This record gives sequence, C-alpha cells and structure tokens, in this order.
Amino acid sequence: MSYPDLPAKGPSGDIVGKPRRNTAATRFYLTNEFGLIALIVLFALAFQFATDGFFSPFNLFSLGRIAAVNIMIGLAMMVVVITGGLNLAVGAIGVCAAMTCGYLIEVVGLPWPIAILSAVALGAMLGFINGWTSVRTGLHSFIITLATMSIFFGVMIFLTRAESYRALPPVFAAFGRMKLLGIFSPLLLVSLMAALFLGYLYNLTAVGREMLAAGAKPEAAEMSGINVGRIFIYCHMLSGALAACAALMLVARNGAAIPSMAGQLGQDWLLIAFLGPVLGGTLLTGGKASVLGTCLGAFLVTMLTSGLLLLQLGDFWIQSFLGLLLLAAVLMDKTRRTFLARRNMA
Amino acid sequence: MASEIAFQATGIEKSFPGVKALKGVSLTLKTHSIHALLGENGAGKSTLIKIITGVHHPDAGRLILEGQEVHFASPREAIAHRVGVVHQERNLIPRFSVAENIHLEQLGASLLKPVDYANLNKQAARWLEALGLDIDPRTPVSRLSVAKMQLVEIAKALSLRSRVLLLDEPTASLTPSETDLLFSFLRKLRDSGASLLFVSHKLEEAQELCDSVTVLRDGSNACESRPMEGLGRQDIVRLMIGRAEGDGGWRKRDTPPGVPPAIELKNVETSLGHANVNLHVRKGEIVGLYGLVGAGRTELAKCILGQFPLTAGTVEIDGKPAKIRSVGEALHIHRVGYVSEDRKGEGLVLMHSVLGNAGITVWRPLSALLGFLTDRLVRHKVTPYIEKLEVKTPSLAQTVANLSGGNQQKISVAKWLAAGVKILLVDEPSVGIDIKTKAYLHDLLRELADNGTAILLITSDMPEMILLADRILVMNDYRLQGQLINDGSYAGMSEGIMNLIHRSEAA
Ligand SMILES: Nc1ncnc2c1ncn2[C@@H]1O[C@H](COP(=O)(O)OP(=O)(O)OP(=O)(O)O)[C@@H](O)[C@H]1O
Ligand SMILES: [Mg+2]
Repeated sequence: MSYPDLPAKGPSGDIVGKPRRNTAATRFYLTNEFGLIALIVLFALAFQFATDGFFSPFNLFSLGRIAAVNIMIGLAMMVVVITGGLNLAVGAIGVCAAMTCGYLIEVVGLPWPIAILSAVALGAMLGFINGWTSVRTGLHSFIITLATMSIFFGVMIFLTRAESYRALPPVFAAFGRMKLLGIFSPLLLVSLMAALFLGYLYNLTAVGREMLAAGAKPEAAEMSGINVGRIFIYCHMLSGALAACAALMLVARNGAAIPSMAGQLGQDWLLIAFLGPVLGGTLLTGGKASVLGTCLGAFLVTMLTSGLLLLQLGDFWIQSFLGLLLLAAVLMDKTRRTFLARRNMA
Repeated sequence: MASEIAFQATGIEKSFPGVKALKGVSLTLKTHSIHALLGENGAGKSTLIKIITGVHHPDAGRLILEGQEVHFASPREAIAHRVGVVHQERNLIPRFSVAENIHLEQLGASLLKPVDYANLNKQAARWLEALGLDIDPRTPVSRLSVAKMQLVEIAKALSLRSRVLLLDEPTASLTPSETDLLFSFLRKLRDSGASLLFVSHKLEEAQELCDSVTVLRDGSNACESRPMEGLGRQDIVRLMIGRAEGDGGWRKRDTPPGVPPAIELKNVETSLGHANVNLHVRKGEIVGLYGLVGAGRTELAKCILGQFPLTAGTVEIDGKPAKIRSVGEALHIHRVGYVSEDRKGEGLVLMHSVLGNAGITVWRPLSALLGFLTDRLVRHKVTPYIEKLEVKTPSLAQTVANLSGGNQQKISVAKWLAAGVKILLVDEPSVGIDIKTKAYLHDLLRELADNGTAILLITSDMPEMILLADRILVMNDYRLQGQLINDGSYAGMSEGIMNLIHRSEAA
C-alpha cells in the first residue's frame, strides 16, 4: 500500500505489527479462492485414486471443454448478481442467440463471423430488455427474468419450430475438437479472455467501478452522480452477451445449434450459473465480484460432475449432489462471514 | 441526593486488525450524574460504548455494574440489565413505523399474541411528545429526516427506562432548540437517579450538561472521571488534542457586487411544499441556509438536484435555465455537487474501501479512453483531501464501515471537495467531526469559495453557520423568511435568526 503517510501521522493509527501479519495470513486461508483451490486439488487426487483414467488426456480434454462453457455461464450470472439482482433467463437467452447464429448461417447465408457477432448482439439486446424492464418497473429482476425466460424461449421455439441447425460450417466443430498441447481445448482460452476482460472492467475502468458501487448501495451511488438505472441495464446487457458466448461455445462442442441444448426453458444452466459465483464468493446481495472465484467455482463443479460420472453415479444423483453443494456453499459463506465479524476481521 | 457508583470499566483493551483502538481505558459512572466522554475522531469513544453494551467483547479489562462484574455476550443481555444505548449510527428499520421501531426490543414478547397497535402507538406518542417531536407514530421511519430519526432513536432508548444510559453523539444533527428540549429531559432523568454518559463534539453542550468528564486520546485516558467544575474550554481542548485550539475565527469575505450568480432560484415551488423560494449564490460566495429541523432545507437541495420535481419557477445556473434530473446530470453537466447529510443512507458505500468511496465523484472525469482508470490516478486526486482532513485509517484499502463515525463523515465530505465542482450544496458537513478537523474543514470550504466555488451551506450548527457564511437565509416551514448579512457576532446573529424564525411562527 503506497500510503505511508497517514498511519504514522495520527499517533493512534499505530500499525500493530505482528498480529496484523497473522490475521492477514488467516484471512487468505479463509478466502473462497484458497478454499476452492484446496478442494480442487483434493478432489482431483481422490478421483485419481477412485477412478480409471481421470487424468487421461482424453478426460482432461473433455473436462476442459465442459469447464469452459460452465465458466462462461457462471460469469454471465455473476455480472448481474453484483447488482443484487439475478438473471434466470441466461439459458433462454443463450439458446436464442445460438439458434439465431444457426439461422443466419444456414438460412440467410451470412458468413460465420458476422453470424457470431449478430448472435452476441442479440444476447445483449435480450439482456437490455431484462434490464430496462426491471429498472423501469422497479421490480426485482427475479420476477422479470422469470417471465422473460419463458417468453424468449417460447418465441424461439415458435420461430424455429423446434428444429435444429445441423449444417453449420466445419469451423465450428473443428474449433470444438481442436486440442492445444494434446489436452487443452481452445474453448478454455475464450473463457479466459472473458474472465480477463471482466477483471479489467471491475479493476481498471470507471464503468466497472460504478457497477460495483451501484450494486453495493444504489442510493449512495445515485447521490454520488452515478446513473444507477443505466448501469444496471449495462450489467444485464453484459450478462446477455456472455450467455450468448456460452451458447456459441456449446454449439462448437456439439457441432450444431439445438433448441434443447440447455434443457426446457434453458433451465439446465441455472444450477451451474449460480454455483460458480456463489462458490466463488460473489455476494448475492451485490457490490462484490470475484472473477477468479467464479472461474474456480465453475471448474470445481465441472470436475465433480465429471468425476462422479466416471464413478458411474446416475445423472439424477449428480443433480441432487450439486443442489446440496449450492446449499452448503451458501451456509459456509455465512458461517465464514460470522466468524470474520466475530474476530472483527471483516 | 446521594450519588453512588453505578458502573465501572477498568483497564479496557480492544484491538482491531491494524488498529489498537483502546489501550487500557477506565471510566466510572455515578448515579444522579451526567458524564461527558470526549475525544477526537477515532479516539475510541464509540468502541468503549460498544464494549459496555455487549456489541464488542474486550480483549482485556473488567466491567462492573452496581458492584457485580458483568460480561455481556450480546446487546440483548445489556438491555436485560437495563443498560441502554443510543449508538452513533442510526439503527432503525426504515419500513417499520416509528412506534414499531421504538418498541422493537419489546415486541417479540409472546410469539402468538397479536401486537396491540393502539397501545403501542399511544406509548410511542408519549415518548415523542416528551422530546417535542411532532410526528404520527404510524409514520414509516424511511420518511423521516435524519434529525427526526435521531430523536426516534433516543425515544427508543428512553422507552427501555435504563438505569445506565449511554448516548453517542445524540445531538449531532439537532439544532439548538431540539437540543434544549432533549437536555431538559436528560436532566429530569438524572434527577430521578439514572446515570448517563454523553458523547459530543460540541464542547459547549458537554460543559453545559455534564457534571463529570472523561477524555480519551488515542485510545487511552487523557483524564479519567473527574468533575467538570473548574475545567475551561481550553483545558478540555488541551486534554483532547494535546495542545490549545488554533483560532480559525470568522473572516470578512467580500464578493464584489458585480459578480454574477452561479446559481439562482426564481419563484421556485416544489412538490414537497416549498413556495416562492427566491435565492441566489454568487461565484465565490458562501450562503448559509438556516432553519429548524423540518424546515425543508435538505428537501430544497434535493429538489434542486432533481430528486423531486419543481412545480413552478426556474433554477438558473450561470444565468441559463437548467433542468437537472439527477445528481449525475448535476455533477457531470452543470458541475453542481451535494454533500449529503445522511452519510450512512446515501453518502457512503459502507462495504467498499476508503479509496473506492473518496474517488467515486472523480472516476468519470479522470477516466481515459475506454474508461481506463487506475487506482494510482484516483489516489493522486483524493489523497490531498484525505490528508488535509486527517482521516484516521490504517490504509486506503480499509473498509469504510470500519472507520470511526467522524472519519466516515470526513470521507463523505472529501469526495465532494475532490470533485472540483463550481457549485457545492453542503448539507451538515461537520456532523460528528471533532473540533480540530472542523477547523480544517472550514479552511477547505473557505479556500474553495476563495477560488470561485459558490457554496450553499446548510447546517444546524449555529456557530458553524456564523463562522462560515457571508449571508444567512432563514427558512421555516418550506418558505424563506428573510436574509441577514453576517457580521460575525454570535449573539447578534443568533438573535436575528431566531427572530426571523419566530416571527413567521407568530404570523
Ligand atoms: N469494526 C472495526 N474494525 C476495525 N477498526 C475499527 C472498528 N471499529 C472501530 N475501529 C477503529 O478503532 C478506532 C476507534 O474508533 P471509534 O469508533 O471508537 O472512535 P470514536 O472515538 O467514536 O470516533 P468518532 O468521534 O469519529 O466517532 C478508529 O481508529 C477506528 O478506525
Ligand atoms: Mg464514534
């Protein structure tokens, strides 16, 4: 901290040397990021012992491909959670964007880069509808996105007649199958770029700071000259765009744009969308983002799912397990915060 | 009346990460007595009060209530022992009514029995009346001004009929008239045998009300429970800051008559009930706006900022009519700033850092291409103000909620000083700020005005008003009653102001 002047000046600003270092260390061990890294290592070792070929190149590759999409979904939720809201329509928006991309390529005949950009733009536009409606009506985004989830998905099914677009240019499937260094999927790079972008946004731009301030305390942000309504709309647009990216990555993985790729109404994405940010330490009440935490959280969940599948556990059990994990994460976060408050560390 | 020891704290120590807040503090409270607890911002007053009432737990030391050692695990236990408290920060539930808030601690008595609202409101009305507070007990707290919330908070503590009552800056946002009412009530409590602890940065008040005093300096006793008698103002100041007070007195400032108004209100009427408001502030001028609690001063500022609509009249900035719809427009288009009186509600983002709060008004102007903005740049801009106001914090990364009340207030003001606006509406800037920093703050405000900023100063602190303002406008019941040219004499000006207020009340 390059702020040497003040503590020395006020004589009572005594920096208590040793205890401080201790608490700083304790604090690091209590962060979500550290906990997640520990859990990831722990489970990786456990699965290595318990299963056949958890660390095989094939499994690592497929793990990375799935994790990439899950991270993107987690980030799409996170950017709205920091406003104290949420976006239940991530899945629906994603599928809409993917189907639009397929339509533009197959039916309209646009070149694929333009189709991809249009799909992301559509995601942002659907996000705008969410944000604008919730800001204008003053209703919580829970209600708004619950409604738009059904609307977006319904309109999409009507327009596409629930047909898939399977004749996509081979670049999609090729990108999905591509291997870097034999084990990494380039999809991971896409997620990494999104995460870096968000890290940049929240730490090094005015808009990102305004998003966090508006999420933490809208009244104070508004009275400090921040246009809170507009900022919340930006957050929803960003969420829509990221959801669209996640869906396009899924298209690359599947080699086709399929209406049911995120389940009925896109609901299959919801659990993972919340697990990433919550495990990562993003406050559900808003005002604090953890990009790294969200990525680690999404990765952990992907690894657990994949390991349990290798253990031949039924899909049904895995869903229940993930639900339990979400509950445990929320409870643990609460305990951790009470602990920190007790010790006056937060 | 025999006075005996009611409560004793000895050798209290308390550390927070990076700060040793209390280093062995002692305090003795007697019955039939009002005890002053004084000290600079961050000296440890609130921390001591929180330890006595079970909010924090001491690292070392003993608490003795009527001869028995006590360990309060939670605020509830303190209440059960009839130790009551009014904390420095408001702790009311905004959506609950005044009556519900006052009886919050007593509500849950029996799970299934319905709450007797008629009785509740009647009880609450009694306490409100005692404090001279003319509001319906059914009003939701969120509709009250900060000063009224403070009075409700006091009523809440009184309703518990505590034997030991701790008041942490109860008068911070009250005007002298409300304060007088409160004091006569506190004296009655004292005479009935209670023992009270009173924290304030207004030394005159403490000297007038209290019979004994403890001064804290940097978490230690500068003096412990000695009689107030024989202590002059300068003696107390020396105990508090280790030296005598510098005299930053009134200074005649002249704005040449030719200077055009930076902001002018013409026949303004608002949806909140202001009528026929005409006022202007010229470049480089400091204009005071005085009035009792509920006079409509803060409300006028908020109407200027577009938080509530004008129903008639115009606001002109630099001679051109301006339609301001939000603080954002005010700040970025018209260069108008507003220091809020409510630092907890709308002044600060408590969960964010000192830097994150102090820089909030300069993010946009400082950001480069694509909104690129580094902490360094923000730090560079805000550090001068944070240093000038002597904000006491272990680092700029400290969460604002962890600062002492006065230091939070300094951040809430500093961010607007750093904004570099042309017109600044300042609402109760020195609530909770100690006398030393208050003088620095006054210097900063004068400096701003000398450099051409037009300042509209709203304050309930009469000495502050008379120290700073060039002209004083008096508002009562949402109307301007008149104007006084400040000549710097406290007696003359305060009489003039009260006359203007009472004339309108008689009419
Ligand atoms: N929860 C906390 N976490 C960390 N530091 C704290 C916490 N509470 C108080 N402090 C620190 O302890 C010191 C004493 O604070 P305290 O609130 O008791 O001051 P105070 O005398 O009440 O000041 P003021 O006049 O400004 O209200 C300050 O330096 C403050 O930053
Ligand atoms: Mg305090």
